[in-house]
Amino acid sequence: MLTFGQIGLGLALAATVLAAVLFLFGHLQKGAGKSLSRIGYYLTFAGVAGLTISVVIIAVSFFTKDYSIYYVATQHTTDASSLSWLYKLAGVWAGREGSLLFWTWLMSLFAGYVAWKSAATEDELGNMALMIINAIIALFTVAMIFSEPNNPFVATPAQFLSNGTLVGAAAQWGMSPLLQHWAMILHPPTLFIGYAGLTVPFAFAMSTLIINDSSDRWIKWADRITIFSWLFLGIGIGLGAIWAYVVLGWGGYWAWDPVENASILPWFIGVAMIHSFTMYRRKGGFKRWAIMSTAITFAMVVLGTFITRSGIVQSVHAFAPDNLSLWLFLFIIVGSIVAGAVGLAVRWKEFAGNDAFESLTGREAAYYFNNVLMLVASLVIAYMTVASALPKWLPFGGQSLGAVAYNLIARPVGILYLVLMAVCPVLSWAFTDGATFWKRIKWPLVATLVMFGLLVVEWIVNLRPVYADMVALGGETAKGFTSFGPQVVYDILTLLGFFFASFVICNTVALFVRGVKARMDGRGEGFGTALGSVFFKARSQSGGYLAHIAIGIIVIGLIGSSMYVRDMSSAVQAKVGTTMQVSDYTLTYMGNKETTKSNGDVEEIVHFNVAKGGKEIGEVSPSMTTFAAQGQSRLNAVVLSGPLRDVFVVFQGTSNGTLSMDVKINPLIWFVWIGFILLLVGAGLSAWPKKKAITA
Amino acid sequence: MKSAEPKRGNNMNKRARNRLIGITAIMLIAIVAIIATVGLRGGTASNVTVKQATSDKKNIGKRIKVGGVVVTGSWDKKTNPMTFKIRDEADSSGTGTQITVIYSGTAPSTFGDGVTAIVTGEFDANNTIKAGEMITKCPSKYESSTGSYTVKDLKARADTMKNIPVKVSGKVKAGTIVAPGGAVRFTVLNATGGTDEINIAFEGALPNGMKDGSTVVLTGELNDTGAFEATNVALEGAK
Repeated sequence: MLTFGQIGLGLALAATVLAAVLFLFGHLQKGAGKSLSRIGYYLTFAGVAGLTISVVIIAVSFFTKDYSIYYVATQHTTDASSLSWLYKLAGVWAGREGSLLFWTWLMSLFAGYVAWKSAATEDELGNMALMIINAIIALFTVAMIFSEPNNPFVATPAQFLSNGTLVGAAAQWGMSPLLQHWAMILHPPTLFIGYAGLTVPFAFAMSTLIINDSSDRWIKWADRITIFSWLFLGIGIGLGAIWAYVVLGWGGYWAWDPVENASILPWFIGVAMIHSFTMYRRKGGFKRWAIMSTAITFAMVVLGTFITRSGIVQSVHAFAPDNLSLWLFLFIIVGSIVAGAVGLAVRWKEFAGNDAFESLTGREAAYYFNNVLMLVASLVIAYMTVASALPKWLPFGGQSLGAVAYNLIARPVGILYLVLMAVCPVLSWAFTDGATFWKRIKWPLVATLVMFGLLVVEWIVNLRPVYADMVALGGETAKGFTSFGPQVVYDILTLLGFFFASFVICNTVALFVRGVKARMDGRGEGFGTALGSVFFKARSQSGGYLAHIAIGIIVIGLIGSSMYVRDMSSAVQAKVGTTMQVSDYTLTYMGNKETTKSNGDVEEIVHFNVAKGGKEIGEVSPSMTTFAAQGQSRLNAVVLSGPLRDVFVVFQGTSNGTLSMDVKINPLIWFVWIGFILLLVGAGLSAWPKKKAITA
Repeated sequence: MKSAEPKRGNNMNKRARNRLIGITAIMLIAIVAIIATVGLRGGTASNVTVKQATSDKKNIGKRIKVGGVVVTGSWDKKTNPMTFKIRDEADSSGTGTQITVIYSGTAPSTFGDGVTAIVTGEFDANNTIKAGEMITKCPSKYESSTGSYTVKDLKARADTMKNIPVKVSGKVKAGTIVAPGGAVRFTVLNATGGTDEINIAFEGALPNGMKDGSTVVLTGELNDTGAFEATNVALEGAK
């Protein structure tokens, strides 16, 4: 099996290298190169076949428990439940070596898809895009074959194997139990589909530069794949956050860890890319933006794997460093940006595009500021992420930046971005006069004020008091609040955030209402038909607007669940009836249960009744497992979910009849999850293939 | 959408363009200003080791991010804020200066003796750090036995090797692992056979998956009673 896996990788490397070379010569020889390019297509499929063999072998080995493969031996599931077959499959992408193989395989599938679609015409645009994708796949395959820590096909050392079973220390190898969770099964593949797919727009951008075609043909090729990939990347990020919240037990879902940042970076710059594509398609503008944003997006995609495999930055996700990965992935990052920049410099005039600005009130200006903000935000976060690895004389060089630092920047910049999102869709192309603008926002503004008013009431009653409570605790926890300066700054940020989030939601909903009304009046359609038409006939646009509404909802959730978390640790007497008070929640101790398992592990469960304002709302039973032989413990947190806030309870142990409890009140966190789902629906609608392009 | 925009001349276009550039500049300056406040408002911390932090006076009163090994038995998860000590990662004998961490937050599930804790907070003159952020790395689970003594070798040199930090590898004797608290945690046998064995004293967390018959690599020293006082216990492994 090991040998076949290696052969698969070898085949993939040979095929992709040769394909890239043949496409290149095919291009250089103009018409005479047709036959070379044709072989390139066959080789592209051969590359897909090689990587598919490797992936299938790894997957089969997990199912047949073939522990002669070191990767399988270290990542096999130890779970015995009905889900264990899923965890077996998940082994393919659970570890360092397998995830790289899985990602490369997905890229080859995208390459295969492009080749299949382009084979009919064999035109230069497709050929050159395939050259680029094949070259990238070849580089990734090199990273697997020539760097042992990345190679999934390494034999398990003989001393750990006896008759096909793992012995000695190896007997307990396996996937971390923390990873054996449904969200963790789906998180990596969705993320990697996104990563892999974002290679495609980059390849087509480079291709169109090579063949000097500044028409929107390449956009039409890459558009859907781009939104599809961006959507999957988003799903991946969201699932990671849900997993962190439910399993890791620290009560949060986003910590600005370098690897988390690395996943959000291509997503941010991807927003600029998608909007540039829209301008390219509809107005023939933003051509240089579109090209360059594909290159930066791709570089950001690789940054994550560079960080985890090079060991340059401390992260909870980091693997043991290896030098080949460091230089190879650094080369891909720098190479893609240089390729974009140099290519654009050479074709500067050809890609001038229709970028005439009439006025700041035109929609073009909003698109432009969207790009500037997303680009700057991505570059700043990327810089901060790697700052600790940079020399000391650079700003923040050698310094480590915590969540406080990111929040200080993200919150005000996020609000600026909301303003843009709120007004952009109501602007006309080129120029919007004041009267039209006012007419368009008048009613949405009324709705906004109502929504904002409700949020303010909630804020005054439940959120704002948290500030004083948390600051009173002092220490590092208070720093997250006081680092913004006087409380009034924090208040203003919150209110601006709530206002513009409401404005985004109402303004965008109004667009749908207007669209439906126009159809009902103009074409005499019924309400349902009109609504259906608005949603499905102009999918790109309506999907985009749904995504805007979703972002507005998410921001409301973020303000609550990241800025106003009430966190209280306290010692509670282990006497039935003892209460602890957190905000207006009362937790009453109801008793405990201690069970000792046959292997000596002890699980201690404590039961609490939870009441809010005197009314009982539920029960929580957090627990702590102590592993006897290892002397380690695991805390099993419990979340009591409500529409406006979650109660998150952790039990940290007992001493001398006192329970150590940690309770967090996470307000509005459900807005984050609901907004996230709506975002998926919107992006999914946009990515849905259509027979012919229709724009409203 | 309506397209009844008034026709505008080149002049207007240029003016709009200049305004656009102007606003971009203002936006960038605002963002730079926001970033600058991060440094002033204590959002940054320099990365140091325990040794660097305690040996350089410049760190006093500054925010630092320091990683070190949690000293066995120095902590109590039940106090709030929780206090524990960390030692330099290279200081396996535990004789160097240690840092006392006062941590106000929920301890991560993986926290325990021998774990590498990376904490961020303000460092003061008494080698104490008030930390609000902590990430943990599991103790190196696997270690190569290359360069370590066998149980047999170490026993043979027991007289000359007392109280000198060494590495030794051997097999865990069946049925000897007990919970921490006693003088002996477990016993190791010579890995290649024979009757030689050494009692191991160790209070920290044992690596996941260690059991009877596991080959382990121990760091520590022989004490006067002939027992081996381990500061680190790892499973033998290729990685």
